[in-house]
Amino acid sequence: MMGKLLRVELMKIRRKGFWFLTFLGPIGVVALQVVNYSVRWDYLRTLSDDHWLFYLENVSGFTPLALVLGIAILTSFMASIENETNAWKQLLALPVRKTSVYLAKFTVLSGLLFLASVLLCLATLVYGLTLDFGGGVPIIELLEYSFYPFFAALPILALQLWVAMVSENQGWPITVGVLNVILTYSAFSLPDWAFWKWPTLLNSWEEPMYSGLMGLGVGLVIYMVGMMNFVRRDVK
Amino acid sequence: MEYIVETKNLTKKFGKETAVEGLNMKIPRGEIYGFLGPNGAGKTTTIRMLLGLMKPTSGSVHVFGKDLKRDKLNILRKVGSLVENPSYYPHLTAYENLEAMRKIVGCEKARIHEVLEIVGLTHAAHKKVKGFSLGMRQRLGIAQALLNRPELLILDEPTNGLDPSGIIEVRNLIRSLPRQYGMTVLISSHLLSEIEQVATTVGIVSKGKLIYQDSIESLRRHSQHHIAFRVSHGERAWRSLMAAGIKTQFQGDLVTLSDQTDDATVATAVRALVQDQIAVYRVEEERRTLEEIFLQMTTKERAV
Ligand SMILES: Nc1ncnc2c1ncn2[C@@H]1O[C@H](COP(=O)(O)OP(=O)(O)O)[C@@H](O)[C@H]1O
Ligand SMILES: [Mg+2]
Repeated sequence: MMGKLLRVELMKIRRKGFWFLTFLGPIGVVALQVVNYSVRWDYLRTLSDDHWLFYLENVSGFTPLALVLGIAILTSFMASIENETNAWKQLLALPVRKTSVYLAKFTVLSGLLFLASVLLCLATLVYGLTLDFGGGVPIIELLEYSFYPFFAALPILALQLWVAMVSENQGWPITVGVLNVILTYSAFSLPDWAFWKWPTLLNSWEEPMYSGLMGLGVGLVIYMVGMMNFVRRDVK
Repeated sequence: MEYIVETKNLTKKFGKETAVEGLNMKIPRGEIYGFLGPNGAGKTTTIRMLLGLMKPTSGSVHVFGKDLKRDKLNILRKVGSLVENPSYYPHLTAYENLEAMRKIVGCEKARIHEVLEIVGLTHAAHKKVKGFSLGMRQRLGIAQALLNRPELLILDEPTNGLDPSGIIEVRNLIRSLPRQYGMTVLISSHLLSEIEQVATTVGIVSKGKLIYQDSIESLRRHSQHHIAFRVSHGERAWRSLMAAGIKTQFQGDLVTLSDQTDDATVATAVRALVQDQIAVYRVEEERRTLEEIFLQMTTKERAV
């Protein structure tokens, strides 16, 4: 059942700009560094000894915002596909479980975000290599900076999806999306428990993996709560 | 008797408002069940509960003899539906819309062409639904409902937005389904004329309550026509018809025939009037509107 539903969801996101945005996000984040390093590479090289690590930190400065913006936009696109002609009643009158439908939507969205993370990793590596930093590529750090933010952002994705899937009024998902972006933007002044901070991978233990792990755990909890609520409700 | 759909005391409340109240619907196999009621009567709410889209506040739904609460997926495998306005993905073509559905219901690809053919959309199969007219969208909705070769087809106001020739096509299609494919059909409408032409069983809902449920023949008796004669001499005409064994009422120059209105009786009446040298200016048929029938039924209910 899941396989079929996933193929249907992939069909429905055709011609809606999902793939374009998935590519645009990571390319955009690296493009900012292309500008940064083209303009002031001579200055930047004086700021640090480990040029690779410094470059990775620069890239990851924009990753959280791009991710959360991407989540808000992709999720609202996803919900609009069903809301536009109230296709929920058509879809859910078919022999499908509501839990499967919810899972399929979540899987497609997280799949796209994961793909964006892969692209971010590749784009970061490719541009880094052209810069001639010297020394070996810090593979571990490259992977950490590319993939931990994805896991750390899962609570935001789960929350955004929940609101988008159950709201009668599309004003709510937009409000929540804007709040998510603002909170992520001000992540530095947030306490450790606030999950908007996690995609920055900053925490008082100075261990980026904790941000990723907490994101995965809390993301799953919010996902479950959202799915239960979706199942219990009458179809729009 | 075997019922394809049977609800027991089905009730749905939205906050304080009761949209459906104690509804006992019984749809025998192979019938075309006309679900009739004015706007806001609770037809769509009932249909949503039959499809498991809404949970009843109380009461139960059995479809194919199975409890909807326990066997929802098995039931829905054999049900096709069109609820209120058709739902579709406007950025996809008609074919892609049906293909998305086919992947879930699991019939063969050729079936897509079959249903497009049935509703007359073959020519527009590869056009985006965004550009479809209201009538074409409605046809696509019917195609979607037919895709899985349902045993029970539920159509909520299916002729909305169709032009007169489209309405006739859909009507003929619906009529042919029980015979051709052994389907049982539930069709809702707020128009008596609409239901009358296709239904074999009728349920009438008013303010959330099922106030009538019986065969179409019984309803016809309720909605019997009046035949009114405008004549030169009312009382003489009344007497003359009485002598011919036809009971009428008269008021001024208007004589009304309401018990027997078959062709033979009307012909006999006209002949009697002419023979007795009473001039007949007009012979008019007056049909009772749904509102009059409602009124009659609800007043009867009160009297009981
Ligand atoms: N989701 C809902 N929330 C609140 N009230 C509703 C909802 N759906 C229907 N109603 C109310 O229930 C009543 C019956 O509506 P409906 O079943 O759509 O009638 P019909 O299909 O016969 O026109 C109406 O008074 C309507 O306002
Ligand atoms: Mg309705």
